[in-house]
Amino acid sequence: MKPLDMVIADRPDVRSGNNAGRTPDERTHVAVKVFSVFYRANQAVKDVTFNIPAGYVTAIIGPSGCGKSTILRAINRMNDLVPGCYVKGELLFDGQNVYNPDVDVVMLRRRVGMVFQKPNPFPKSIFDNVAYGPRLHSRLNQGELAEIVERSLVDAALWDEVKDRLDDNALSLSGGQQQRLCIARVLAVDPEILLMDEPTSALDPRATLRIENLIAELRGRYTIIIVTHNMQQAARVSDFTAFMYEGALIEFGPTKEIFTKPTHKQTNDYITGRFG
Amino acid sequence: MQTSVEIAGGKVQSPSLLLSNRARLRQRIAAVLGNGFLLAVTSFSMLAVLFIFIFIARDALPFFQHNGLREFFTSTHWYPSAGEPEFGALAMFFGSAIVTFGAILVAVPLGIAAAVCLSDVIPFALRQFVKPIIEMLAAIPSVAYGFFALVVFAPLLQQQGGHLLAVAVWIIGLPSAVLVIIVLSDVAGDRLSDRFQSWARWGIIIILGSGALFGLMVIGKSLSALRIASGTNAFNVSIILGIMALPTIVSVSEDALQSVGRELREGSYALGATRAETIVKIVLPAARSGILAAVILGVMRAIGETMVVWMASGNASQIPQPWYNMLDPVRTLTATIAGDMGEADQVTGSSRYHVLFAMAFCLLVFSFVCNLVSERFIRRSRQKAGG
Amino acid sequence: MNLKTRKILDRAFAGSGVFSILLMTAALVVILVPMLIRGWGAIYFTATVEHRHLMLERFDRGNPERVADELNSTRETRAPLYRMITEFEKQLETSDSESRKRYTTPLRELKKAIHDLLGPAPGAIRPMLMRDQYGQMRWGRALVKLRNVLYREEWDYSDPTRGGIKALKPRAAEFTGTPVEPLCAYLENNLTDMMLPRRTLYWQFLTDNSYDSHFFGGIWPEILGTFYLAVGAMLFAIPLGLIAAIYLTEYARETRLIGMLRTCISTLAGVPSIVFGLFGLAFFINTLKVSSSKSVLAGSLTLALMILPTLIRASEEAIRAVPHTYKEAALSLGAGRWHTVMSVILPAALPGILTGIVISMGRAAGETAPIIFTAAVSVGKPLALWQVFSQPTPALSWNIYNLATEHEAVDEIRHVQYGMVLVLVSLVLILNLAAIILRARVSKRLKG
Repeated sequence: MKPLDMVIADRPDVRSGNNAGRTPDERTHVAVKVFSVFYRANQAVKDVTFNIPAGYVTAIIGPSGCGKSTILRAINRMNDLVPGCYVKGELLFDGQNVYNPDVDVVMLRRRVGMVFQKPNPFPKSIFDNVAYGPRLHSRLNQGELAEIVERSLVDAALWDEVKDRLDDNALSLSGGQQQRLCIARVLAVDPEILLMDEPTSALDPRATLRIENLIAELRGRYTIIIVTHNMQQAARVSDFTAFMYEGALIEFGPTKEIFTKPTHKQTNDYITGRFG
Repeated sequence: MQTSVEIAGGKVQSPSLLLSNRARLRQRIAAVLGNGFLLAVTSFSMLAVLFIFIFIARDALPFFQHNGLREFFTSTHWYPSAGEPEFGALAMFFGSAIVTFGAILVAVPLGIAAAVCLSDVIPFALRQFVKPIIEMLAAIPSVAYGFFALVVFAPLLQQQGGHLLAVAVWIIGLPSAVLVIIVLSDVAGDRLSDRFQSWARWGIIIILGSGALFGLMVIGKSLSALRIASGTNAFNVSIILGIMALPTIVSVSEDALQSVGRELREGSYALGATRAETIVKIVLPAARSGILAAVILGVMRAIGETMVVWMASGNASQIPQPWYNMLDPVRTLTATIAGDMGEADQVTGSSRYHVLFAMAFCLLVFSFVCNLVSERFIRRSRQKAGG
Repeated sequence: MNLKTRKILDRAFAGSGVFSILLMTAALVVILVPMLIRGWGAIYFTATVEHRHLMLERFDRGNPERVADELNSTRETRAPLYRMITEFEKQLETSDSESRKRYTTPLRELKKAIHDLLGPAPGAIRPMLMRDQYGQMRWGRALVKLRNVLYREEWDYSDPTRGGIKALKPRAAEFTGTPVEPLCAYLENNLTDMMLPRRTLYWQFLTDNSYDSHFFGGIWPEILGTFYLAVGAMLFAIPLGLIAAIYLTEYARETRLIGMLRTCISTLAGVPSIVFGLFGLAFFINTLKVSSSKSVLAGSLTLALMILPTLIRASEEAIRAVPHTYKEAALSLGAGRWHTVMSVILPAALPGILTGIVISMGRAAGETAPIIFTAAVSVGKPLALWQVFSQPTPALSWNIYNLATEHEAVDEIRHVQYGMVLVLVSLVLILNLAAIILRARVSKRLKG
């Protein structure tokens, strides 16, 4: 993989926020095309268009209520759970419209993992938490399962802390550990995309740091889309940043540029702390 | 299942997200079948209600066809096994009504006071101890209540009933008299000029106080001399049914009180109202529909109760003389059903058998209506709390 | 109104609330205490030698030699009584007809009273009824019977305004100057030696069959019957209730149909229990003919219907209390809806559901009205498992009613009634206590 700076330098499309015409070696993993989300009469996301490149960390920032979580949850159709929610426009995952009525949602969610705001491990053992996904999707013997669990926990940088107590209840872990367990749980189903919905908002600074380091380690292996209200975090972990305001996408581009020379006034106001 | 996807000039292999036709069909069928199965099982309750209505009505109808409505609802002549049987159930309707009324008289003031106390007065830690008490009261089987009413309470009432009543009157009467007098003296005192105020106040307290004391003594004495012919009577049953209805009333009205928001209370406190004033003037009116629902549910509990009234109401199918005399034995619908079914001929289905279904049908319709009304009230109180 | 008055009113208001809660507590205590104390008396009581005699004869319990010794010693102490009577009877045979006339009835009554207290006289023919074959088993009852020997009840109706007044006449006075005259005093002074009262723990009360319509023995058939009925009801109600709760919380959209369903469920909850009984009779027995007449099966089905709404509501509440995040997590990992329910939501809701199950089971065990026409009989043998489909059963709740109101000798078997009440109430309260503890632990865990 090319160094980040070179990629950005190669890609004027990314800089402009319109990366439709792109270089052939770069793959758009998720393409959002004139996409809107409604909760009954209320339009939460308004005609948003942007492309999320594969293998990089993309942050979505903006003041609360700007629709950033909604669009994240639209990618793996978690919004289906909300009564009265419907969408307009296209959201393409590997070029396939996610909202095609014939889409196998189970398959989609398997390939698009999600980590939530509050750590939400199941009230089961640590092992069973990580094994939950693999058990769903394939028939594995105990040895294979243990292998997957170990690999996922290692990838989530949790293995060393829990390897001696895999049978303990997951709720006995600390908040930060729980969140890393949730990440391990997602990694265990081997997704292509990792959606993270403010994954550190319920954690203390030390735990936050570990998660951020983990994101840096996972970068490149997965396409990571992270929603955060913490601009420093976006600046630290992401390669690209989308700034949303009142349901609309204001600006999308390489993080460095968004944070150093934003083209829009609202972006500038937001990242300099004038509102939000 | 790989499809090649065209992406801006390049071709990338990506597994399709779409379901194959067969898989889609399978999933649809599974969803429809599964949903249908779940809905069918859930509808079982609906079916049960429907069947209860149908089967009770089916066996009640022959009675009404054969004997008409008039005698059943207006006559007190209940001679089901006479050569020329008479099926006047008015006394039973009356018995059910008076017993329920008595129970409500006991349970509603106590229940609402307790609910207010639970939600607004006592601290949370203490509440954790009171709740199990209410739950235990609710859990005790009705036959145990009936046994208590028959074996412990009835003899006590028969031997010491007068004294018990007198003590109860004192316990309730004295504090309420004191309160009334204090309020009256205060109100009256406010209208006079300062010079007479304290004189007037003390005068009122002394005059009214001695009057109230005298009244209480007279009532207490006459009650003490009261002789209760039988301990198994409407009074006994009312008390016990009241205790049984208490848990329902307490928990439902406590829910209603809790759902009245803090803001409303705080607004009232901020204006300098005392807790009592806040609750009486603000919280209780706001929780009105929930409390009404609680009362209706209490009525349903009391009127539908069988064992206690069967064991301890005396089972005399008569309207007491005078009608408000709670110390006479009465007979309720439920007790009649329970008691007479054993003698009624079930197989051939005589009028004697069908009349009991007619009574059950009346109970059923009554509880159905009560339920609809209380549901409405509860929904309304929830809506109010929600927005 | 001035502030002072308002404050007094405020205090009074709070006071009335506290008063009503105290009153409620007092009601609970007043109702429970006699049941607990006197119910315990059915199991732990002062038993006479007659009890031990019965235990040995009917149940083969106790040390035969010791009981024989005790019986011999009491027979010796009792002998003078019967000697006095025989002597007097002999004397009467030879005496004039007037005194014969005068003493025949009192003597017969005296002999009857002694028989009630001590059982059949030595050498008499064994009576038919078991209750006549033994003297009083319980020291408390023996003292009551002793009074009947010592005094004769007489009712004075001379004052027409007040009904009868009871007066006690000493029997000894009726026999002045006869050989029986010292009998009463002798009996009173030596009753302890005649009965040998001893504190006894008769725990087999819970596991013995009853004999001679509950005069003797225990309440095992009733306990077993209650168990069958409650467990049977749960077997029918749990699957139905659980599935309904899952559907209502996880699948159903708020359509009109679902609204109607909810109304039906609460209607079902409000149907008077006696109406369930009639319905059970009319539907399960007369129409479906699940059994030819009353049976445990029909009773269980009726009870199941009755507790179904409670169960649905409790399970619904438990499922709704499961944090939404569990469901989201499972779905985001690609689990289907049903799988999410089974693997994540139900396990997390299980303690709450169990609480509901335990409470409804207590209700099913305690209800009487629904089983009167569908399952309960007053006297019966304990049923074998395969008999539940066709046979009615005695049950605690029904027999409490039956023994307390319809039994031929209500006062003689108070201890059995109290014993049954104790067992039933403890059963229900223990179930509820378990539920309370379970719930406390759940709420702690959900908070933690």
